[in-house]
Amino acid sequence: MTAFMAVMTGSLTWLGPLVPGSNLDIFSLFDLHQGGIRWQRHRRQIVDLQPLTQSIVGGKRKDAKEHTEQALAAGVGPEAILAALVAGMDEIGGRFQRNEAFVPEMLIAARAMKEAMSVLEPELLKAGIRPEFTAVIGTVQGDLHDIGKNLVAMMWKGANFNVVDLGTNVEAERFVAAAQEHQADLVGLSALLTTTMPNMKATIEALKAAGLPKTKIMVGGAPITQEFADEIGADGFAPDAAGAVQVARTLMAG
Amino acid sequence: MTERQRFLATMRYEPRDRCPIMDFNFWDETLPAWRSQGLPDHVRQGNSDDWFGMDSMGETAWVHNGLLPRFPVEVIRETDTELEMIDDEGRRIRKSKVQESIPMYLDHLLQDRESWERHFLPRLRADDPARLPEDLDQTIARLNSPEQERLVTVHAGSLFGWIRDWMGVEGVGYLVYDDPELFEEMVETVCQVQETVLGRLFEAGLKADAAQMWEDMCYSGGPLLTPSVFQAVLVPRYRRIADLLRRNGVDLIWIDCDGRIDLLVTGWLEAGINIMFPLEVGTWNADPAAFRREYGRDLRLMGGFDKRVLEAGPAAIDAEIDRLTPLVEEGGFIPFPDHRVPPDVPYGHFLHYVRRVREVWGLGLNLKPCPALESAT
Repeated sequence: MTAFMAVMTGSLTWLGPLVPGSNLDIFSLFDLHQGGIRWQRHRRQIVDLQPLTQSIVGGKRKDAKEHTEQALAAGVGPEAILAALVAGMDEIGGRFQRNEAFVPEMLIAARAMKEAMSVLEPELLKAGIRPEFTAVIGTVQGDLHDIGKNLVAMMWKGANFNVVDLGTNVEAERFVAAAQEHQADLVGLSALLTTTMPNMKATIEALKAAGLPKTKIMVGGAPITQEFADEIGADGFAPDAAGAVQVARTLMAG
Repeated sequence: MTERQRFLATMRYEPRDRCPIMDFNFWDETLPAWRSQGLPDHVRQGNSDDWFGMDSMGETAWVHNGLLPRFPVEVIRETDTELEMIDDEGRRIRKSKVQESIPMYLDHLLQDRESWERHFLPRLRADDPARLPEDLDQTIARLNSPEQERLVTVHAGSLFGWIRDWMGVEGVGYLVYDDPELFEEMVETVCQVQETVLGRLFEAGLKADAAQMWEDMCYSGGPLLTPSVFQAVLVPRYRRIADLLRRNGVDLIWIDCDGRIDLLVTGWLEAGINIMFPLEVGTWNADPAAFRREYGRDLRLMGGFDKRVLEAGPAAIDAEIDRLTPLVEEGGFIPFPDHRVPPDVPYGHFLHYVRRVREVWGLGLNLKPCPALESAT
């Protein structure tokens, strides 16, 4: 895949030279900007972002931070760096779903992402690049469990969603208020207890009554099934944190 | 047959009069919810086996095989509905006062080597004399008595679950990568406590039938610990404990595993842990018969009855009983609702379940009296 194709398909993992043997790369000519392309005025060094992606996959937070700093210093656009980070989270998410990675690997990958983002975020802001989608997440009222919810929040952040985490034992009214305040594109409801599942339904009813036409609602948690999600009017359900990213993206694309 | 003989015959695939009829008890809200549906006030978690005519899970020779002493409990904040406190494992937790379940863990005392050496290692001295009860001789005499009709068990601790509790899922997840030597040192320390305490119990003359361990290390999607780490760090130590138990006549070891266990079963079996407890249907649709086909008769199972059907009603309950009956007849399997009966199950449905399992699995033979059914007729 050429660098240009990689950029256009959003699967950027390597930025090779346009002219073999030269240091003229695609970003010497173009830069990504909020989904479009604009002229880039200065010449950049050729930077292979694959090690950055792999540092996320391997959960190597020090490397992730250093590679991010190096890429920025070399003049790579922050959005391209972000794409490399997200590619790493996607890779670990896929491995998680294939039982090739487990909770510890997800945790360290998310931590490495967070570390890299601490360097990248100011540059993204400077460039006027913000997450395209905002998600509000929480565990429904009566339920204090947060491990699954935390994993989903981490994965959504890793997929470059702006995530507003309301914590646990969240009343329907708080979900509604947060969705309104942050103009949420997505609301994620979590429950572990069968006894708190009815509160998911009540929360969905409250969100729908509030009239939030663009807001999609996802549910998840150990006792939740697709059948239950359909029954209570959720827009999406995922059985695990990695699946929650795929479903969220599908909902946002729809 | 006594309860003890029946359990052992079942788990050894030997002839028996019937399958044990056991229960894994109830959510804390369940019995109060049933009061208005006919359950008498005197029935509590502690005596519900007698009310429902259930065989017991035996009697354990309890010892202090974990933190000793435990951390002082301290209430930080209390409202009408919630309690924030430091619990006896050093965690800052928030728990509901109106609903009993796993609390929310806000902070863990065990974070790193410094906190391990300062707060935990002193509480994990294997040779602490207080680990064995003062009345050990009387306890052993009672449990070893020929009149003992209940299964006699020992508790063989936890190599991951306790550490996970002390650090949190996230804390231990980071630790296995950030400081794998410390993680292994923690596991080794806990393992040595189990070996020492069990050794002293057996030296004191205890004759046990079975051992139990507690891990709760899987959730609906799989293990909380990476299987390769499980295999490298935990399995050899499970084997040390299992070997010690076998040298002392204990060849049935059950592990309270929870959740989706399929990636860990081989390691446990390899180490000599041969009863999975409870096999959960509700969280990931585990099928006991499929497990038996895959792992053979070395693997014994407990649980495996889909508790969700108890809410659905008699027809669904009967179908679930029928589904499990061939494996019940084969042996090596003691069914019960897979992880405690929740409060959304109507009392009448549970009585139907009790009636049917006494008929189908209990064959109406040598059953304990069941006041619940007697009072319902």
